[in-house]
Amino acid sequence: MPVNLTRNAIAMMNSGDVNSKPLVQVVDIKLIGNSQERYRFLLSDSESTQHAMLATQLNEQVRTGRVKKGSIIQLIDYICSTVQNRRIIVVLNMETIIPEYEIIGNPKLPTGSEPEANKSMPNNNLLEPSTRSTNNRYSAPAPANKAQSFQPTIQPAYQPPPNYKIQGPIMKNEAPARIIPIAALNPYQGRWAIKARVTAKGDLRRYNNARGDGKVFSFDLLDSDGGEIRVTCFNAVVDRFYNVIEVGKVYLISKGSLKPAQKNFNHLKNEWEIFLESNSTVELCPDEDGSIPRQQFSFRPITEIESAENNFILDVIGIVISVNPSVPILRKNGMETQRRILNLKDASGKSVELTLWGDFCNKEGQKLQEMVDSGLFPVLAVKAGKVNDFNGKSIGTISSTQLFIDPDCPEAQGLRAWFESGGRNTASISISKELMPGGSKNEIRKTLTQIKDEGLGRSDKPDWVTAKATVVFIKTDNFCYTACPLMIGDRQCNKKVTQSGNKRWLCDRCNQEFEECDYRYLLQVQIQDHTGLTWVTAFQEAGEEILGCSAKEMYLLKYELQDDTRFGEIIRSRLFHQYLFRLKIKEELYGDEQRVKITVVKVDKVNYSAESRYLLDMVTKNFPNRKQF
Amino acid sequence: MDTSSPAAFVNGGLLRMHVGRKVRTVIQVTRSDAGSVMGKSTDGCQLVVRGSPPAPLTSYVEVIGVAENENSIRAELWTNFGDSFDASNYDQLCQLANGELKHLFL
Repeated sequence: MPVNLTRNAIAMMNSGDVNSKPLVQVVDIKLIGNSQERYRFLLSDSESTQHAMLATQLNEQVRTGRVKKGSIIQLIDYICSTVQNRRIIVVLNMETIIPEYEIIGNPKLPTGSEPEANKSMPNNNLLEPSTRSTNNRYSAPAPANKAQSFQPTIQPAYQPPPNYKIQGPIMKNEAPARIIPIAALNPYQGRWAIKARVTAKGDLRRYNNARGDGKVFSFDLLDSDGGEIRVTCFNAVVDRFYNVIEVGKVYLISKGSLKPAQKNFNHLKNEWEIFLESNSTVELCPDEDGSIPRQQFSFRPITEIESAENNFILDVIGIVISVNPSVPILRKNGMETQRRILNLKDASGKSVELTLWGDFCNKEGQKLQEMVDSGLFPVLAVKAGKVNDFNGKSIGTISSTQLFIDPDCPEAQGLRAWFESGGRNTASISISKELMPGGSKNEIRKTLTQIKDEGLGRSDKPDWVTAKATVVFIKTDNFCYTACPLMIGDRQCNKKVTQSGNKRWLCDRCNQEFEECDYRYLLQVQIQDHTGLTWVTAFQEAGEEILGCSAKEMYLLKYELQDDTRFGEIIRSRLFHQYLFRLKIKEELYGDEQRVKITVVKVDKVNYSAESRYLLDMVTKNFPNRKQF
Repeated sequence: MDTSSPAAFVNGGLLRMHVGRKVRTVIQVTRSDAGSVMGKSTDGCQLVVRGSPPAPLTSYVEVIGVAENENSIRAELWTNFGDSFDASNYDQLCQLANGELKHLFL
């Protein structure tokens, strides 16, 4: 039966059309490449021809004869690009429609055996250099790659591969590059090679942007000097290396390009990142190189995490003291994920909350739950966890986090030894709860002017003081906020929620919607003592003590019942009461200026008996001859 | 405020310093009769207060009156101070008011 190939398919593909899915005929197939099996097709639309490389995932089709010379095929997925004035097409997906057919039409075959020329032929036929001198550099080029290298071949027959390319902008030296430490890599290095172990392998990710579809994956390397660097591959390069790279194995890598590391995703201590290209080489080193460690950590004691900045990436190791069950969380993109909360404790006397997201919940999280349930206290090492400062400081997993249960490293052994010899029973303070240092024994009493005069709140930790003062004014605008009522572990989320249409509320932190929100105080109050007055902010518990009723009641009174009279009466009735205020004082940046912010952490009614004792003490302690009463 | 005849803060031991003068003190009632009340001062002495106590009388009562002798007061004013009272604080006050800080009081 007559077959009609897609008219002008070759011209269309060459002009960049990747969506047409044309029907073409395979006029010729050649095996290219000596270390890698690559096939080059010569495709025809019955009038013109064009070379196209077959992506390696389709090699099977050639080997099994599903596609051969003369086959009519439909190109389903392919990419076209221009490199140094030539069209390169790579076939990513195709379907053989008719396996055998006589050559249709009179397609113009490319002229062969000419020196590599940069002029484009009328039909944009790719010049066919005869391919004696083949090495991996002849593999399918990645579309965005400019460092394309085609061997210039001048003679058809056997000729040892020329060591010097006379074509192209740079003279390339073909001698193998020296192995250098990863720490010495930089874009101006020239030839380099590194020998390193893969410490992490990322997932294969597909993406879609203005330039079309693509795929990418990354892996991290560690060498014997402790240098680390991330390596990334795009599109066709992914095909070459994705199955070659295995975590834990050592490779000799050369000829990639160095670009600045993307700090948002790449948390390794290196300002550069390697991008592999079609001419890059990755060689497995089978003999076990003991000089290269399997993993490199820089653990921080939990106590140091307390002063770490929000979103900082760090490594931590600790004993798992509790594991909470997995809960489903709805993410912003509508996908559901899992979350688990654990607590880790270390020898610094502090403990920290660790939040596992997604797969970590089911894999390591589940294992840890089983271990803790059966009475064990495993050591957990976290590589690349992210600090979160919402409530005290806690750590969360990110996509590049790695978890190691009971790792075989000296820090784990040290921790286990500490735990078994008493660490188990020492109480530890959680840095993941807002801490109020100093009990009633070491309360520091200040007057309100002392706060300003002594510059309290200006150091990097907040100051905690007690002041006896009287409420003189309560701001009634915005006295409360709509809060998330959902529980996170053993405490309420309390983050401010936003309305999401039709009377429902949305919490960003929990990623859930609900009907009823909670109302919590955010009171601005002015307090006064015999020295002066100041504004303070009171949250829920303090607010309830000051106003004597819940934020929800006040909210309903003011906004639902709109009873301003009663509302005003309640407010007035709460003025001029004296309390002992426990205050947290901290200077914070508001826009451009530093302002001292005072928060009421606790409100206590004055106990006259105790307060009298305090005052008597103050009066008598400075007497020259202190009488014993 | 009438400051013409201030009453000195006294406990049992300090009463003798103000015999014949106006004093004030708090006692813990031990016995109450028609014309007088017996009570324990904040420093543990037994005092007698003559006059008409209020009815009902709470455990602690403040009396303001004239000191008759070193253990009795003729009360002019009675004030119930309730059933719980910090005696040691009051006692310390009395000592300061008659000692280092006397100048602040009378």
